[in-house]
Amino acid sequence: MLGRIRREAESIAINGSGIQGVQSVSANYSSVARPLRNLGINSIKYAPEGPQTATLDVSNLLINTLPDSAPATSKELMQNFTGDIAFSGVVNHGAKNFIFTEGYMETYSVSCAIGEVPSVSTSSVIYGEFGTGTLANVPTDNSPSVVNIPSYSSMEINLDTFSTNRVSSFNVAIATPRVPLYVVGSDVPTGVIAGTPVEVNVNFTIEPDDYEIKNMRFVPDQTVFENTVITLKKNNSDATLLQYSFNDMLLTSESFQGDVDSNAQVNFNLRSFILR
Amino acid sequence: MATVFYDKASVSVEWGSVGETLLASDFTINYSTSAQPLYAVGNKGSLGQFPSSARVGDISFNFITSLTGAHYGQKGNIINFLASGIKHSVGSTASGVTISGAGVKGFGFLNSYSLNVASNSISSSSASFTFFGHDNELPISGRLADSTVTVGLGTTAGGSLATGIAHGRYTPLTTLRTTIGAGYDPGPTDIGTVFGADYSVSFNHNPIYKLGQEFPVTSLYTTAQESINVTEDIFQSGLAFNESSNDYTIDLHGLDDASTNDKMQLKMISGKQVSTSMSAGLDDIVRSQKTLTASY
Repeated sequence: MLGRIRREAESIAINGSGIQGVQSVSANYSSVARPLRNLGINSIKYAPEGPQTATLDVSNLLINTLPDSAPATSKELMQNFTGDIAFSGVVNHGAKNFIFTEGYMETYSVSCAIGEVPSVSTSSVIYGEFGTGTLANVPTDNSPSVVNIPSYSSMEINLDTFSTNRVSSFNVAIATPRVPLYVVGSDVPTGVIAGTPVEVNVNFTIEPDDYEIKNMRFVPDQTVFENTVITLKKNNSDATLLQYSFNDMLLTSESFQGDVDSNAQVNFNLRSFILR
Repeated sequence: MATVFYDKASVSVEWGSVGETLLASDFTINYSTSAQPLYAVGNKGSLGQFPSSARVGDISFNFITSLTGAHYGQKGNIINFLASGIKHSVGSTASGVTISGAGVKGFGFLNSYSLNVASNSISSSSASFTFFGHDNELPISGRLADSTVTVGLGTTAGGSLATGIAHGRYTPLTTLRTTIGAGYDPGPTDIGTVFGADYSVSFNHNPIYKLGQEFPVTSLYTTAQESINVTEDIFQSGLAFNESSNDYTIDLHGLDDASTNDKMQLKMISGKQVSTSMSAGLDDIVRSQKTLTASY
């Protein structure tokens, strides 16, 4: 019988913690086996060329946070992997599953628009095992996350611009470079260095009232630096759930869009770099 | 016109009763004669161009470091077998080998041989030979033609998996690690991590010519120089004026580490570390390199 597996039979757990509000999980690897080519070739043989890795992309709604007692830097579970911590986990689908070990996050983003619940998207590289197998030393989830749903209507963005210009969406993207160290005699890295600097990009879309497009010339008196703080609060509450705060962000791009059947729109990007 | 596509242009090396077709990725054969103009007082132009030395040729090729050969009990490809034999030979007379590619062949003497090993990479080698000719035999003969031979790659771990080639995955090179001690016992010891190594050996030959004959009556092997460059993460700032010498063994392994056949060994006798360097670049760790050399 040809069955199917729907979302209720799918789940993902990282370091023993189930990820809640998952919208999509994507995992893949491409074999590094390459055909050998030589003069006088008379058969095709394969050999691996380069290190074998896999990728794991997870997108989830931000509807759960870690409790205050959790030994973590951020109350958002996935954000804690933007540092130098590796993770492992398992993806279940129906009666089957696959594991991954030595995962390192490379990009983390959180975004929200009017009418939406904030969502988190991550992309990670798997340097260890991927596929069949069993996980050893799965940590116990001593700090299970609790339901805490923020809302677009209960967040705060502290940019002077926004007191008179309506924000319609934002996106915070954190890129965390990784440097794997491969030695001879091994197909897994002996270490993965958390590269530096970490690049942070914040994009805003606003419907402007008195917002003024800046001069594009990179001259001192026209260069704009902003401190950006985005505070996510619990829906219909003043309780702060998460805060994304970045200092001295450089305004790197602006775009204006006027259309016959919509309000004028301005997109702008702020960028900063964080040294680990 | 002979049209030979690359799949019919294999490179083979034969020495006596043993031979092997290599997994060459390219090869180049050169053949030259030296013609020098001759001038004389009282003549406006040159008297003509005349040969000043014997015709010689050479061949160079790069190839995947295959391990499936076994020549007189020595595992590994025939180039490594030849290099080892010449390097450790007690006599001076070199016999030379027959090298053929795409229907053209010559009787050559190994000039240089090198290989590299890096993490998660297929090892590649290169070799070059000089064709001196011998007595009445031309250095190079033949014409472009198809050659079809079977190349063994090892299949012990799977029908289409090339297990018989040297690979950084199973080649640990632990024998090349630098160890630096604190100078007292017991003290902290720093042991390097090897990221890769380049090996090379070059040979000098002396063809013996006699009057009345273009090509040499024999060729003598004279000297050889060998070096290994090792990339690590440790810097030997205490390099001595006269470093002590050691023997270094490199064991190259194929993709089927359990196989006892797909292996090859090189041995540097009385090698000395002659240099050490370190370099730093953006987005990477500081890597160091040491050079070991030996002479024969």
